[in-house]
Amino acid sequence: MHDDWERERFERLMLPHLDAAYSLARWLAKNDGLAEDAVQEAYLRAWRFFGSLRGDDARPWLLRIVRNACYELRQREHLPGPAEDFDEQRHDAEMLAAGAVITLPVNPEAAVIARAESDLVRQCLGALPRDYHEVLVLREIEGCSYKEIADIVGTPIGTVMSRLSRARRLLQGLIAERVRPRETGT
Amino acid sequence: MKCTEVNRLLNPYIDGELDLQNVLAVEAHLQECPRCNAAIAGIQTMRTAISRACEPAKAPLRLREAVQAQFAGTAAPRQATSLSLGVCLAAAPGIAALLIVGWLALAQPWNAQSNAGTAQGTRIVYHLAGGNHVKANLRTLKNHLDAEPNLQVVVVAHSDGINFLLQGAKDTEGQPYIGALRELRARGVEFRVCTNTLTRQQIDTRAVVPEAVLVPSGIAEISRLQKREGYTYLRL
Repeated sequence: MHDDWERERFERLMLPHLDAAYSLARWLAKNDGLAEDAVQEAYLRAWRFFGSLRGDDARPWLLRIVRNACYELRQREHLPGPAEDFDEQRHDAEMLAAGAVITLPVNPEAAVIARAESDLVRQCLGALPRDYHEVLVLREIEGCSYKEIADIVGTPIGTVMSRLSRARRLLQGLIAERVRPRETGT
Repeated sequence: MKCTEVNRLLNPYIDGELDLQNVLAVEAHLQECPRCNAAIAGIQTMRTAISRACEPAKAPLRLREAVQAQFAGTAAPRQATSLSLGVCLAAAPGIAALLIVGWLALAQPWNAQSNAGTAQGTRIVYHLAGGNHVKANLRTLKNHLDAEPNLQVVVVAHSDGINFLLQGAKDTEGQPYIGALRELRARGVEFRVCTNTLTRQQIDTRAVVPEAVLVPSGIAEISRLQKREGYTYLRL
């Protein structure tokens, strides 16, 4: 049962994270209007399930709800792409097959990536498969710790570590792939 | 420590997630391994590129207002509401959680702090986002009107919630919705459709039935009705 005290606590713990919630939602929903809807849904759900929040670690708890709301809304809107279920094993196999690209010596990649324009970086980040995209957004943009990411995504910390590592390699490969043809004019 | 082993630890090392023993081992290795140093430089360059390209967004003011409005006056209900929500709760357990919030909001007229709309009939904004159970939802609306004839109702639809307001829309049994819609319109219920949803789903505005009107954003409209016009929020 919620009372005034509970509502005051909810506002004190949850409203400071509204920017983080919206920022994450924009990346995961990939649409500003949908992101706003997702954040509103998430706050409604957070209020409903507020009793299940343990301690005061509200941010990852809220972001987990935001994440799930984003994916549900995308599904409801029949939007295709990375929000669909992602087959990690199949993708790992594909990545291994693409090993020639992603295990290129890192040094030249660094130089190429340093020249990548911001639009291109955003496009490539948005093009990553869902499981990799979300850990990278949570780590690099939202500044979450591995433990927080594990809580938000619902996986063990070891999985967060390996996904993050793959996500970075994959993004490096994607950016390098797209920067080079532009520079060579092909 | 070998390169393959260090490689596995580079990401947690960069992210400050490694324990002291492993940090020392990685740093000892980095002293003498140009290849692993280059790998770190690659990751760091990309992190810099991401932070340059992707600044965290700030929530727009309308969203902040809408979220705050959701919780304004949602204190614990003093007594049970007479509104029958059983149909929806039974039919759509997935949105039951949201309905509870709507139910809490509905309790607002009994709270001392609430005075909106009581003299001229309670004002309710129904939020409709899903395309399932539309028939049950319309029946709920009708029951609500039967129970409170002075009720002023606005239905704001977005996402799949707009589907029954499109020309030629039919229920799962093939019956057109238009009859029920006109009946509710005749009783003063207003239907408002989110233009953002139409744009997103590439639906022509002319496909919307003339019984409904368009608003730029469904969510903003709900927020405006609550904040500016004293409507009580209820989720369908």
